Amino acid sequence: MSKVYIKSVGLVPVGEHWNKSLTDLMVEASLNALKNAGNVKIDRIIVGNMMSGYLNNQEHLGALLASALGMKGIDSLKVEAACGSGGMAVHEGYVSIKSGEFENVLVVGVEKMKDADTSVLTKALAMAESAEFTQVVGASFISLNALLMKMYMNRYNVQEDHLDIFPVIAHKNAVTAPHAQFKKAFTIEDVKRSPYIAEPIRLLSSAPSSDGAAAVLLSSKPADVEILASEVSTNELMLSQRENPLKFEATEKAFKKAVEKSGIDSSKVDFLEIHDAFPIVAALSLEAMGYSEEGKAAHDAAKGKYNFEGDLPILTFGGLKARGHPVGGTGVYQVAEAYMQLSGTAGKNQVQGAKVGVTQNVGGIDTTSIVHIMRKVS
Amino acid sequence: MIPIAYWRNRKLYTRLIGSRCKKCGAEYYPPVKVCKKCGSTEIEEKEMLKTGTIVSFTKLTEPPVDFKDYAPIYLAMIRLDNGILVLGQLADAESEEIKIGARVMATIRKWTEDGQSGIIYYGYKFKII
Repeated sequence: MSKVYIKSVGLVPVGEHWNKSLTDLMVEASLNALKNAGNVKIDRIIVGNMMSGYLNNQEHLGALLASALGMKGIDSLKVEAACGSGGMAVHEGYVSIKSGEFENVLVVGVEKMKDADTSVLTKALAMAESAEFTQVVGASFISLNALLMKMYMNRYNVQEDHLDIFPVIAHKNAVTAPHAQFKKAFTIEDVKRSPYIAEPIRLLSSAPSSDGAAAVLLSSKPADVEILASEVSTNELMLSQRENPLKFEATEKAFKKAVEKSGIDSSKVDFLEIHDAFPIVAALSLEAMGYSEEGKAAHDAAKGKYNFEGDLPILTFGGLKARGHPVGGTGVYQVAEAYMQLSGTAGKNQVQGAKVGVTQNVGGIDTTSIVHIMRKVS
Repeated sequence: MIPIAYWRNRKLYTRLIGSRCKKCGAEYYPPVKVCKKCGSTEIEEKEMLKTGTIVSFTKLTEPPVDFKDYAPIYLAMIRLDNGILVLGQLADAESEEIKIGARVMATIRKWTEDGQSGIIYYGYKFKII
């Protein structure tokens, strides 16, 4: 089977793009990736997106992007896995090349969130769980994470501000990240001064809503970075359906499979781009991947393990919290950032000597988990 | 809220009707067609017990658009006395009474409505006992 390489990436800075449409964002990211690749003939386009139908009155993003890029005739589609849509799009691109049917696949992740009213956006995000049994009782996605965080705090005797170390790490790393939405560092005290949205989650401990698009061009032809493994796993749709909601089974399985397939020793990973939508998601993800013991992720973070200068840097460009979280774009931003680290083009955010990187993107609360392991081609 | 979808599920929402696997006895809310434990498709209706304990709770200040007029709302994870974990709102909840371990009972309350002349949706909420 063919190996899968990342030939180039293209990013739109994450932010509030009042003057750019959903299509503008996708086209800009795509053209950046195509320009960076040089002369490459694309034979498939895969778009990762969650909410364009509900928020932007637009579906059929595969044909829409092909048409906008002047590539009518090409095989093109959209994939959706809630907040994991971007990672799933990369996974489908990887599988496309592995199958031998395609040589060069353009993967684009996009979300245009700022056009929508907050309460409409809140409803759209809740669609990651059940319409019939989650949304009907008035739950939002943030409130489900709040319920989970409180269960964790109660179970492991961890305080809210212990977990708030994760947004602090994210924001510190974003200060020098050119494409980050918030290039501003803050402290745990600053987080504590911000209001609750759903106690114990505060405004400053929650990933923002963002506009953004990222593209990665995958190829069967050797390039600077190789994707060694791309694995997906699923958990029960609803948090309340799980025997132990504090266990991220999908992430655990996807990561385990990816490690086995890649042949990489998980202790040899140089950096991690995790799905830090909320502090609790960061903590449970690190615990599911085995980098921290159960209940100990915040403790390890406080000791500096996950700092940029620590043993295992995470969120090297600010993660979902500070780079921003354009939902369907996020998983593609993560892979693009891993490419930048492994190709030595991460600028001031360069993890020195980075050879192996991992990305973990989830849809829902670990309902779908997509893990990629990439290496620098020497 | 989608009126026809609500109508279809009205019994579930008001009486907490879930499922029981005829083969292995596992119980579920929401109801299932396939048993997650043994894979059997021999499933019967089963009404959940209406009492339970708060496992986790939160006060939501920015609810989704259909519930915007009712902010803030109190949401909880309840471990029913038959062992099933259920997500629901807390009714008449004075904040000092709400704590992990508090005993609750399901009751029928208004969830939301489609404007002033539209349908009023009723369903279960939990009250502290």
